[in-house]
Parts: sequence; C-alpha cells; structure tokens
Amino acid sequence: MMQDLLANPAVQGGAAPFVAGLIVAVLLGRYRLGGLAVTAAFATAVYFIAGFGFTPLSATRKIILLGLVAPIAGIVVDFAFRPTRLGSILLAIATAAAAAWVFWPVLSQREFARALLPGAIALLAAAWVVGYSEQRLAGDSVRAAASGLALGAGTGVAAIFGAALTYGLYGVAVAAGSGAFLLVQMITGKRSYAGATFTLSVTVVAILIAAAAMVLAQLPWYSVAVLALVPVAANLPLPAAAALWVQAVLASLYGFVVAGIACVLAWHAGG
Amino acid sequence: MSLKLTASLVAAALPLAATAAPESFTVDPYHSIPYFEVVHLNTSIIRGHFEKISGKMTLDSAAKSGSIELSIPTATLSTGDNDKGSRPRSRDEHLRSPDFFNVAEFPTMTYKGKATKFNGDHPAVIEGELTLLGVTKPLTLTVERWNCGPDPRSQGKRYFCGGNATASFKRSDFGMKFIVGPVSDEVKLWTSVEAFRD
Repeated sequence: MMQDLLANPAVQGGAAPFVAGLIVAVLLGRYRLGGLAVTAAFATAVYFIAGFGFTPLSATRKIILLGLVAPIAGIVVDFAFRPTRLGSILLAIATAAAAAWVFWPVLSQREFARALLPGAIALLAAAWVVGYSEQRLAGDSVRAAASGLALGAGTGVAAIFGAALTYGLYGVAVAAGSGAFLLVQMITGKRSYAGATFTLSVTVVAILIAAAAMVLAQLPWYSVAVLALVPVAANLPLPAAAALWVQAVLASLYGFVVAGIACVLAWHAGG
Repeated sequence: MSLKLTASLVAAALPLAATAAPESFTVDPYHSIPYFEVVHLNTSIIRGHFEKISGKMTLDSAAKSGSIELSIPTATLSTGDNDKGSRPRSRDEHLRSPDFFNVAEFPTMTYKGKATKFNGDHPAVIEGELTLLGVTKPLTLTVERWNCGPDPRSQGKRYFCGGNATASFKRSDFGMKFIVGPVSDEVKLWTSVEAFRD
C-alpha cells in the first residue's frame, strides 16, 4: 500500500516534495535558509524518480548535480558577499557556462545549423533567468517564491507536453518547494529571507530542465523563451498596502499567466 | 602423373580450407529487425521494433566460433503509435524522450557478442554486452533457429546465414527507470538477423 503510494508520480513529484519543502521552510526559515525548501523538494523528487546515480554523467544527471550545487553557491553568495549588479552578472555567466557543460555533448552531435538555435536559447535563457532573478527578486521573498512557483509549474507542465514526464515531475517538484516557501509566508504574514539561496536553487534547476526538455525532448524553443519571462511577470507592480497573502496570490497569478502561455505553445507545437 | 595428382589434391582441399577459415558477414538491414516487448499496466504486452540496424558477423563453423556486432539507431523505434492525435505527443515520441531511450543524447544502442555454444554447426548461445543509454551490461542471446546457404534470390551467387535470437534484461539496470512497475522493468528482445557473406 505504502509502496504503491510512493510509486505514484503525483506523490513523487508533488506531494512528497511539498512536505519536504514545508518542513525545511519551517525549520530553517529562522536561520535565513528557508530557501533550501526548493532543494529539499527537488532532492526528494530525484530520490523517488531516478535516484542519485551519476554514472554515466548524462545531461539530466548534470542538471541534478547542479541542482545540488546551486544552493551551496547561494549560501556562499548570501553569507559572504553583498548583493551587487556585478555579482548577478557573474552568476548569470556562470549559469550559462553550466548550461553549455550540460548540453554541449548533445548539441555537438548535431549539424551546426540544428544545434545553434536550441544551444543559444538554452544559454541565453539560463543566463537571463538567473541574472534577473538574482538582481530583481532575491531581495523580495514573496515575489521570488511566486516566480519559483509559476516557473516550476510552467516548466513541469510544458515539459510533459514536450514528451518528457520525468522533467515534468522535476519542474512540479520545484513548484512544490517554492509553494511551501510561499505558503509559510502567507500563513504567518511575515516575509522570509530568499536571497541567492532560494533564487539560485529555483532558477538553475527550472530553466535547465526547460532547456533539457527542448534539447532532448520536444519542447519548442519559444516555450522556453516565454518561460524565461516568468520572473519578469512576478516582478510586476503589486498593491503595496495589501496583505502579504494578497501580494503572494497576485504575483503568482502574474507568473502563471506567462507560464500558461508557454504551456499552450507547447501543447500546440506538435502540429 | 604425380604432378597431376598433387594439383588435384590441392584443388580438392581448397574448398575445405575456405570453409574452415572464419568467414565475415555483413548484416542485411532489410531482414534484420530487433523487436522489444514490455508489459503495460500489468495487462497487455506492448511490442515495438527498431526500423534500422547495421552490423558485422564472423562465423567459423568448423572451429565453432563466431562473433557479432550490431548497431541500432534508437531514433528509429516504432510501436505503431506515431500519430499524436488529440494528445500533446505520441507514444513513440515519448519513448524517444529522456524518460526512456533518450535518443538525442544516446542515439545508438550496440551489442557485441561471441558465440559460446554451438548446436552442431549452428551457434546456439551468444554471450556479449549490450550498451544502452551509455551503460554497458552483459546480455546473453539464445539463438532459436539458424541456417546458412546459397541465397535463392541471387540464384545461389550469394551466400548468407540467418536466424532468430531472444534475450531479456531489466531496463532499470541501464538507468531507464521511468515508471518501472506500470511499465514492466523486464524487457524481452526478439530479433531476426540475416547476413551476407562478404
């Protein structure tokens, strides 16, 4: 019975990651590490779906590895450096380099013309999402969490439409972790600390999964480009006087509209 | 007289020598088709096949030895569901994705083996290694039927061999772990192979 439950994809990608994320968000929030909720959620999904084997080091396993390294980098950034524009740019460049490391072995097997567009989109989207989120959202835990919720969910659903259900579950797990981080803030009415610990954990995994669904499955490039605009949507104006939970709902809705467009495009891409 | 006798003996011995030497063969892609099957949701068996294959083979019936190397482009898989209809993607498209064969990253599946048991002149068991998704594991093929002879389509000018072989493996051993359970972990292989002597 329990084994059947844990084998259910909805539990593996949604319920179990959400519970793990909620526990971490509650327990570590006071230490400014509540953003690790996303990593807890993602790691839980990986544990149930694929496990932590890294041989051979495929593109998917590289993404999992980066998903585990990103929060460590985030903690170092948050506790050792002050947030600056240059820092955001450097993180963006580093993520683009990571995307190249992930996808180059696959794209190098193709003709240059067929590799150029997905390769360029993967690198640009990765750099943009990480750089923008770090610069504009890391200091606002509600917007950052709303962006993570919409980006994760949008990536998950779009990846499923792109014939990659595993990536879909990973995307949903990122959404579950972000949702847990956001829910704690909505219930307590207090903002948590997001910082690079949260934004890097979300953005590195989510955008690389979206790019992987494009390079390795059938998610169209323009869906990935639209998904990259989710953080921008979550940064649209909010009523400053409104309750925190209202701001959280509104920011999430902004993100979901853009993520929804990406999903619709993915659904219709098959012709 | 003795020269004639020697020449006759040499001439008579030549075909025997030719038969005893290892012969190399090239796989006929049109009559060599690897099939696979899995159990779906603990009910029906879903079968698929790969539409292309290439390879080489050696055979020395006298010495009871042989080898085979097969290469299969995984993107050519088909389970008869290529039309997505009202769904976002077809089953074959899903099977090509990273959930299963991950054809963009691992476009080729290979098998290299050596015949270790013979049934008379015919290979009966081939022990080798299957490489799938970048993982190499041992896989033993059981040869179900085998025959060699002149190809009637070429009025006997070409010589060929062919037969069927079966095997099974756990897909999770190769890292293909997506929904193991609803789609069986065990994959059964059944392949036809024909090859022309070079």
